[in-house]
Amino acid sequence: MRFLHLILRSFLRSKRRTVLTILSIAVSVALVAILQSVLATLDGFANNPDASNRIVVRHKVSITNMLPMRYEEWIRQQPEVDTVMGLQWFQGVYIDRRNFFPNFASEAEYVTAIFKEEIVDYSDTQYRDFLRDRNGCIVGRALADKFGWKVGDVIALQSEIFPLTVRLTVRCIFKSKRPSDEMGLHFHYKLLEEGVFYMKGRTGNFFVRVRHPDDVPKIIERIDRHFRDAVEPTLSETENAFQLEFLKMMGNYTAIIQMITGAVLVAILIVTANTMAMAIRERTTEIAVFRAMGFRTGQLLFLLMGEGILLSVLGGLFGLGLAWVMAGAIRNVAGTFLPYLQNFSIDPGTMALCFQATLGVGLLSTFIPAYRATRRPIVDGLRSL
Amino acid sequence: MNGDPIIRLWGVAKSYYRETLEIPVLQGIDLDIPSGGYYALMGPSGSGKTTLLNLIAGIDRPTGGDLEVCGFALNGLDDDELAGWRSAYVGFIFQNYNLVPVLTAFENVELPLLLTSLGRRERREKVEAAMERVNLTDRMENYPRQLSGGQEQRVAVARAIVSDPELLVADEPTGALDSKNAEEIMALLEGLNRDLGKTIVMVTHDPKAAHHARHQIHLEKGVLDRTVEVNR
Repeated sequence: MRFLHLILRSFLRSKRRTVLTILSIAVSVALVAILQSVLATLDGFANNPDASNRIVVRHKVSITNMLPMRYEEWIRQQPEVDTVMGLQWFQGVYIDRRNFFPNFASEAEYVTAIFKEEIVDYSDTQYRDFLRDRNGCIVGRALADKFGWKVGDVIALQSEIFPLTVRLTVRCIFKSKRPSDEMGLHFHYKLLEEGVFYMKGRTGNFFVRVRHPDDVPKIIERIDRHFRDAVEPTLSETENAFQLEFLKMMGNYTAIIQMITGAVLVAILIVTANTMAMAIRERTTEIAVFRAMGFRTGQLLFLLMGEGILLSVLGGLFGLGLAWVMAGAIRNVAGTFLPYLQNFSIDPGTMALCFQATLGVGLLSTFIPAYRATRRPIVDGLRSL
Repeated sequence: MNGDPIIRLWGVAKSYYRETLEIPVLQGIDLDIPSGGYYALMGPSGSGKTTLLNLIAGIDRPTGGDLEVCGFALNGLDDDELAGWRSAYVGFIFQNYNLVPVLTAFENVELPLLLTSLGRRERREKVEAAMERVNLTDRMENYPRQLSGGQEQRVAVARAIVSDPELLVADEPTGALDSKNAEEIMALLEGLNRDLGKTIVMVTHDPKAAHHARHQIHLEKGVLDRTVEVNR
């Protein structure tokens, strides 16, 4: 502790350089924290524990090929199956494409049963109104709040996939455990069947709720085996795997994010190492004087590395603060059109990872110049003695 | 001066190497300096006086011979032991003062005491005593940039004596000072030798400064030329 003031005084020796270095570390750490949080969010999206007993059945060829609605009846007869629902991604645009939110043509009577973990709070009266009104829809609270919708409001959705515009009456507003689950809209499948001739008796997916998660592999195998030789064979997978397929359409995002993270960390390392090397080099004589006075190698390493670690840790903490602010902005802005960013935040694991990374950067960047400075002959360090 | 040698050198040699080329700087130095002595090392540039001072102060190692300073055979100490020895027995005064610019005068003087087990209050007392000795008690909270060259060197002297070392080594202590300040520093060193019995070994080019010492050691091309007593 008696050396602490020496570390602090040296740390503030060149205030401008210190501030600029802290800022550059902070921006880099904020970037790493945001990238890692995006990764964690996407992984969480494809690892939803609430979806552990849900299966998505689709056409084996691709998600754009349709399946006959009659498959539903056979699937429902399987003893392990609790509920089945035909669901079609509608991709309806509300006024402007920027108002994106997920909307589906669903078999209305099964919506709350299939998504009981997501649709947790709603009025029975409103839900009955939704079932009764063929032009009705059920929407999440966050979505309704975003556009100021109230029960009874009429909205138009123009599909980007089908030649159809639906005019829907908001009949039911539900709440979920997570805001991201409140950004969806479901309307009656019949509307799609009636409006688009080639969708009559066909659907893009079946969402299947299995009674027990342990039965999921068995059911997947049985469904696909049963329809293997049909004209439209199926490919069944867990809902999480299905979501992952969507994410994979963005490319190997994990590798991309990890590569960017690695590059940013290397950049911080170089910036900090350069700063510390300069700070130590310009104190060559001073370090030699300290050694002449009797400071040992370990004590000098402690002083010099303490300075480097303080620099990087302050940069790291400031960067995490910055990331926290940025996460709020991402949640409020990007979260409105990318539902899985509704809950975007910097989780404690990512914070710990960033903090450890900055600590590592501080140690790595300072050790080599500090060690070299302490190994240099004293008489070389002193211009003359 | 009590007569017992505090510095003893036997056949000390020092060479530097440029790739495989050996450049001898000191050869066959035999020297005894008694405790309480005040010696000025003199000689032309390149005669090896600074190298000899570095060896005596334990900040460089000889390539030949043995030396014993303050009762320790320096060749037998490793780097950390040598550092510990320096902190206990040697005070340094440099030509360019070499104060730490981001520390106050008080903190600069306190530096050697941070290596001891002394508590904060004891350190303060010792620093204040050292600053009083150099007559700078009113400048303790000043930074080096707020001091004149002479004051900076007096702070450096206070730093050198604060841990009460037996030996003071000074390299051109007046080299960067005007004649008035140089005279003050020399008077200060003389007082430390006379009143506190500090052994002082000083490198200087300045005959006036050397005249303050009791003995002058003349080096010529890396060998001891002669040692003369100063008549006052």
